[in-house]
Amino acid sequence: MQDGVFNELADLALKGSGQAIPRSKSYLIEARLAPIARREGFGSLDDLVHCLKSRANPVFAAECAAALVSKDTWFFRERDTLHRLVNDILPMRLKAGNTGRVKIWIAGGSTGQEAYSLAMLLEDDLPSALRGAKIEILSTDLCKTATERARAGRYGHYEVQKGLSIHRLLHHFTRTDSGQWEISEALRSKVSFRQHNLLESAGGLGKFDVILCRNVLSGMDRSARSRVADSLAAQLMPGGLVILGQGESLIGLTNQLEPSRDFRGTWIASNGTPKTATSAA
Amino acid sequence: MKTCLIVDDSRVVRKVAARIIKDLRFEVVEAGNGSEALDICRKQMPEAVLLDWNMPVMNGLDFLRALRREEGGKKPVVMFCSIENDAEHVGEALRSGADEFIMKPFDAEILESKFAEVGLI
Repeated sequence: MQDGVFNELADLALKGSGQAIPRSKSYLIEARLAPIARREGFGSLDDLVHCLKSRANPVFAAECAAALVSKDTWFFRERDTLHRLVNDILPMRLKAGNTGRVKIWIAGGSTGQEAYSLAMLLEDDLPSALRGAKIEILSTDLCKTATERARAGRYGHYEVQKGLSIHRLLHHFTRTDSGQWEISEALRSKVSFRQHNLLESAGGLGKFDVILCRNVLSGMDRSARSRVADSLAAQLMPGGLVILGQGESLIGLTNQLEPSRDFRGTWIASNGTPKTATSAA
Repeated sequence: MKTCLIVDDSRVVRKVAARIIKDLRFEVVEAGNGSEALDICRKQMPEAVLLDWNMPVMNGLDFLRALRREEGGKKPVVMFCSIENDAEHVGEALRSGADEFIMKPFDAEILESKFAEVGLI
C-alpha cells in the first residue's frame, strides 16, 4: 500500500473512531475495507480513497471508518470478569440502588457476543441475590453492520465454537436452514443494541450501574482514550463501575475515574460521584 | 506433560490436530480407529481424547461406550470432533459420555477454546 493511501485511511480511522493503526499493520486496512471496496466496485483502495476525497459523503466516510475498527470478539471472552460481574458486582449494585433494577452498558460490543454471554450467564447461573431484579443490558457499537448482526443474533460455525460449550449452544441456539446458529428469542429480548460512536456524547444513552468497555480502548490513540474515559465516567450512576479488558488501564488518561477499592481491576468515579460531561470538560 | 489421544481415520486430520494440540503443550498419541484407540487406552489412559465419529473397524461412539466401561475409563476428557453434528448425533454423543463436541471443520482457535472449556488448559 502506498504511503499516501495509508495515510489517508489511517487518518480516517483516527478521526472517525480514535483507532490508531500503525504503518506495520496496513494489512488490517486492506482486509477490513476489502468488502466495501468490492461492494462499491472499486478496483483498489486507491480508487476508494479517491472517492472519499472527491465526493464529500460523510455517511460513506463514517462507514469506512467503522469498518476499520477491529470486530474481534467471542463468547465468554475473559469469562472470569463476567462471572465476577454476575456474582459480586451486580448484586452489590442492586443492593446499593434500591430500585430493583440494574443497568449495564457494553460499550464497543461489536457483534454482540459479549452481551449475549452475559445474558446466558444471567439465565443459566443467576445468583439468588439477583432473583427478581430487572437487569437491562445495552450493547453499542460504532459499526452499523456489526450492530445489525448483533441484533439479529445469528452466528456462523466458527463463531459459535469459540467460547461456547456444546451444552450452551444446544440450549440457547437453533440452527437455521442456511447453517447459521440463531440465538433464542428469550435471550434476544434481554439485550438492546444501538449504534453509537464512543467519541461522541453518550448522554442520550442514560446512566448505568456498570459499563463494560473491554479491549476497546487499547486500539485507540491516547487522546481518544482520554476522551472516551471521560465520556464513560459521565454515564455512571453514583457508585457505578467501569470495567476494562484484562491488562487495560486508565491511569494517566482521566481524572474522572480511579481504581475501585472494592473490586480490583474496576474503575469508579473519582470521589464516588461522577461529574457531568459539561462539568468535567 | 498431559497426553491427548487423537482418534481419526484421516491422516490429514490427525496431522493438523496434532500440530495444534502439541502447541497447547500436550503429548500426542494417534489412532486410526476405535479399536486401536482402545488398545492404547488399556496400556495408558490419556488425559484427553479427540474423537472422530465415522471410522472403520470401530466407530467413535462404540469406542466411547467401551472406554467408559474400562477401569479408569471415566477419567479422560473426551471431545467428539465430527462432521456428524446435527442435534441427534450431538445428543447421542453426550449421553454416551462425551464431555464436549467440536463440529468439523475446526481451526486452532476452536480447539484451544474447547480445551479451555473443559478445563484441560
